[in-house]
Amino acid sequence: MAETETALLDNPVAGRPTLILRSPDFHSITEVVAEPVERKTPIGWWLVFLPSLALLSLLGVAVSWLFWEGIGIWGLNVPVGWAWDITNFVFWVGIGHAGTLISAILFLFRQKWRTSINRAAEAMTIFAVMCALTFPGIHVGRVWVAYWMFPLPNQMGMWPNFRSPLLWDVFAVSIYGTVSFLFWYVGLLPDLATMRDRATTSTRKFVYGIFALGWRGSMRQWHHYETAYLILAALATPLVLSVHSIVSMDFAVSVLPGWHATIFPPYFVAGAIFSGFAMVLTLMVICRRVFHLEHIITLRHFDFMAKIMLVTGTMVGYAYGTEFFTAWYSGNPYETFAFLNRAGGPYAWAYWIMVTCNVISPQIFWSQRARTSIPVLFVVSIVINIGMWFERFVIIVTSLHRDFLPSSWGYYSPTIWEVLTLLGSFGLFFTMFCLFVRFLPMVATAEVKTVLPQADPHFHAGPEREVVAHHSHPVVPAMPAAAGGPVRRRFALPFLARLPEGPHYGFLAEFATPADLYHACERVRDAGYTRWDAHSPFPVHGVAGAMGLRRSPLPWIVLVMALAGGALGFVLQWWVHTSAYPLVISGKPYFSWPAFIPVTFELAVLLGALGAVFGMLGLNRLPMHHHPLFRSTQFNRVTDDAFFISIESWDPQFHPSSTGKLLESLGARSVELLES
Amino acid sequence: MHPERDRVALRPEQVTIPPGHPWNRLPAIGGAAAVLGIAACAILGAGNPKQFFFSWLVAFLFFLSLALGALFFVLIQYATQGGWGIVLRRLGETVFAMLPVMAALFLPLLLGLGHLYSWSVAGAAEHDALLRWKAPYLNVPFFLIRAVLYFGSWSAIALFYYFGSRGQDETGDPAVSARLRRLAGPSIIVLGLTQSFASIDWIMSLTPHWYSTMFGVYFFAGSFVGFIALLSVVVVAMRGAGLLDTVVSAEHLQDVGKMLFAFTAFWAYIGFSQFFLMWYANLPEETIWYKTRIEGSWLPVSLMLLVGHFVAPFFYLMGRAVKRKGATLAVGGAWLLAMHFLDIYWQVMPTLHPEGIRPSVLDLAALVAVGGCFVGAAGWLVRRQALVPLRDPRLAESLAFENV
Repeated sequence: MAETETALLDNPVAGRPTLILRSPDFHSITEVVAEPVERKTPIGWWLVFLPSLALLSLLGVAVSWLFWEGIGIWGLNVPVGWAWDITNFVFWVGIGHAGTLISAILFLFRQKWRTSINRAAEAMTIFAVMCALTFPGIHVGRVWVAYWMFPLPNQMGMWPNFRSPLLWDVFAVSIYGTVSFLFWYVGLLPDLATMRDRATTSTRKFVYGIFALGWRGSMRQWHHYETAYLILAALATPLVLSVHSIVSMDFAVSVLPGWHATIFPPYFVAGAIFSGFAMVLTLMVICRRVFHLEHIITLRHFDFMAKIMLVTGTMVGYAYGTEFFTAWYSGNPYETFAFLNRAGGPYAWAYWIMVTCNVISPQIFWSQRARTSIPVLFVVSIVINIGMWFERFVIIVTSLHRDFLPSSWGYYSPTIWEVLTLLGSFGLFFTMFCLFVRFLPMVATAEVKTVLPQADPHFHAGPEREVVAHHSHPVVPAMPAAAGGPVRRRFALPFLARLPEGPHYGFLAEFATPADLYHACERVRDAGYTRWDAHSPFPVHGVAGAMGLRRSPLPWIVLVMALAGGALGFVLQWWVHTSAYPLVISGKPYFSWPAFIPVTFELAVLLGALGAVFGMLGLNRLPMHHHPLFRSTQFNRVTDDAFFISIESWDPQFHPSSTGKLLESLGARSVELLES
Repeated sequence: MHPERDRVALRPEQVTIPPGHPWNRLPAIGGAAAVLGIAACAILGAGNPKQFFFSWLVAFLFFLSLALGALFFVLIQYATQGGWGIVLRRLGETVFAMLPVMAALFLPLLLGLGHLYSWSVAGAAEHDALLRWKAPYLNVPFFLIRAVLYFGSWSAIALFYYFGSRGQDETGDPAVSARLRRLAGPSIIVLGLTQSFASIDWIMSLTPHWYSTMFGVYFFAGSFVGFIALLSVVVVAMRGAGLLDTVVSAEHLQDVGKMLFAFTAFWAYIGFSQFFLMWYANLPEETIWYKTRIEGSWLPVSLMLLVGHFVAPFFYLMGRAVKRKGATLAVGGAWLLAMHFLDIYWQVMPTLHPEGIRPSVLDLAALVAVGGCFVGAAGWLVRRQALVPLRDPRLAESLAFENV
């Protein structure tokens, strides 16, 4: 099997092979992705879940003891007052970055291979951010007043210090978590609808139905949806760069040798993506095996991921080298010492672990054989995860443990409580991930379907097309659904949206392939219909044009929201520091505009992202849990493998017989007249 | 076996400059400009050699950065096996084929090292402990060795890729693509390292006490913006002159526009990070570089960079229609090209004129001289080659490219 897959790797001579192996049809993709969620819980899942849960309870114990006893149970002391917790914070935030890279940046670069892994990677982002937020959350001392980190009006007239990088962290990481969640949820929406339509129990139908918001795969909805997705990607890309840049500024704005380096922001971002990809790889190697997704998550996907790890690992190596060179070049004895101390001081062991794991080990990926060997990938990904943890540890601890005053030099080692907290955070991460793969489709089915060759409306099918035609249903004459017919009630929230009254909702015609749908849409558009729609399990490329849809106004909504967010953020900080709560901190002027840029930017992204998501829902009239189309039993498959056109009865051109005939003449498999 | 590839049939007149076309005069125009510029430099520079060497350095770095940006653009396309940009690749190849020419244009600077780099003056280190410390790196022989190394590796990579691609026009051998792709990764590493150190040698060491770990990345970001800006201007100009107008579509223009947009933001990110971290830490040995640049008449220049190199183009290039129309894209590109020049000027010139910006006729003369050589040589190449890689295996994909 390995040879055939390797043969499919990209090469300029053979062109671009398909991303998904065994050329499945749309339905089998749905099946294979939904299967792990719908079948009985496998033993293997429990074997991972229960230990994770045990580790998570360990976190509970460690944190409870910390709250009871105080930070003194950790190994922190002069001169190392900041070590294990912040290392873990940076480590976990970094892990999250690969998810956003895959879902946003690779999307903008049209890297279609991302579709097989983006859902799981995005979920991983959210869980990693949760783990990350635990650490600053628990080390603030009085955790019960942690909300003071946010700018909340209070009777004491106190405001946070917006000139502090730690406050930028609060904004950056929490907004990053929020936007990642929105991005993930928007991506999930069509798949939640799939799970709803496949549900066999009423509980499942109810729960998935609630969260699917009444998604019905309408092309007019897909149209806004795709715009929203693109905008979210465009917002998440600078966001992900900003988050780890801001995390790096926790260190880089200081005057501490080894921390204060201008290259820190991009260097941390590269490192974050590097470690995140390693984690995605570790998880995907396990998941594809456990859930039999070898033909969806192929060696080709691993090949791409290994290349990205090679690139980012080399970038990290470039940063290590540049730091070393500049420390010498600067002529600053403290800088020089800090780096010599890293490589040859008491923590040299950690430094060399870091260099070996992060710079040397990924170089094996120059070889394609290594990039496509599962054991090599698995081992190296874990090695890199270890190395990147050590990178943060080295940066943080080596710069602190020998400070400017040699008499206060010391050696930091963690206590058992700190180690337990780290182990516990892995428990949190894996518990969440287990729940995710158990209850949600872990591959973006709608997106994977778009990369199948037959998803292209201009796909020229060979013999397979004939097979489909052979099995297609005969076109049934227009027939009103009888009162006693197979009408299934769905969970409904009728107060949220209304449709015009009338005896009939309209016609619903099913088409066999995206190509048929595309051509039928052109004809319906040319026939002058206005109140009509097409429905499909995924956005069919070009159908918006074939339907004559105008561009979505969503970008304007987002632009206004983002500008408002940025302006509000800037004004808030200016007001706080010049009039509400003016304090001189670190010798900075009250109005320190450069220090206000991070929070301004974060708030612009937050409001822009909220505008994109809620704007999309508003334009799509969602949530709309009840819709006449849901009365059709055929329509169940709109989230699986069926393609429809619906023409509404209040269209001026609508006629109970001629409209039905038109749809039949377009090659519909079946046409039905739906009640209102 | 490869139906798409065999379907590509570009007619010669689509991809070459036809005889009698005004673009055939580029070598003559460039040559004339070069002669004029060099003459002006010789006459004016004799009276003010210090200003001449700084002006020449700015002009040299500007065109060098465009060529390096082009090299990166093409290498990354090979490494990622990108498809959309194949029709633009030959233009990038033509620009980076100028790297050996840039080596020749570097030579005049060697006569003025003492004017440019205070560390290179004999005895400079005697009363300067920092320069003594840095002497193992900042000394003239090692500086020259490094320059040879930079130009050697750049020219080697450039010529290897240029002739590899040209050769494929003749043979149509897809193995060429595979070979160039395999070497793209190592070439990028070599390019990244040499470009970083070159920026340290030629720009950062103008103020030898000052240092920034980010500097190489900043220079890279500027170079890439510069090249994409140049690309957008050249492509639109070619289409306007009836060249490539049936090959390069609005889809390609939109992608060029997107890259311009993205890397303008990237440049701002890197530039802001460098400024911000120094501003915040407020260490005199670092802030001195920015202090010069926010005082006197350099402040408006700095603000101009902030607005002109980032804020204005960011909003201008945001929309879709702007990127798809040739005229509007070219306006953005020309503007950013000018801003990239200003960026280089702003990095170099405050060393000569710390008291404020002092534009000189020599700035223009050097720009015309270096630019004349650059355009003339590139024009000479353009006449002798197809304007797209005719038989690249992915050409069909690029021709049919559509933004989703």
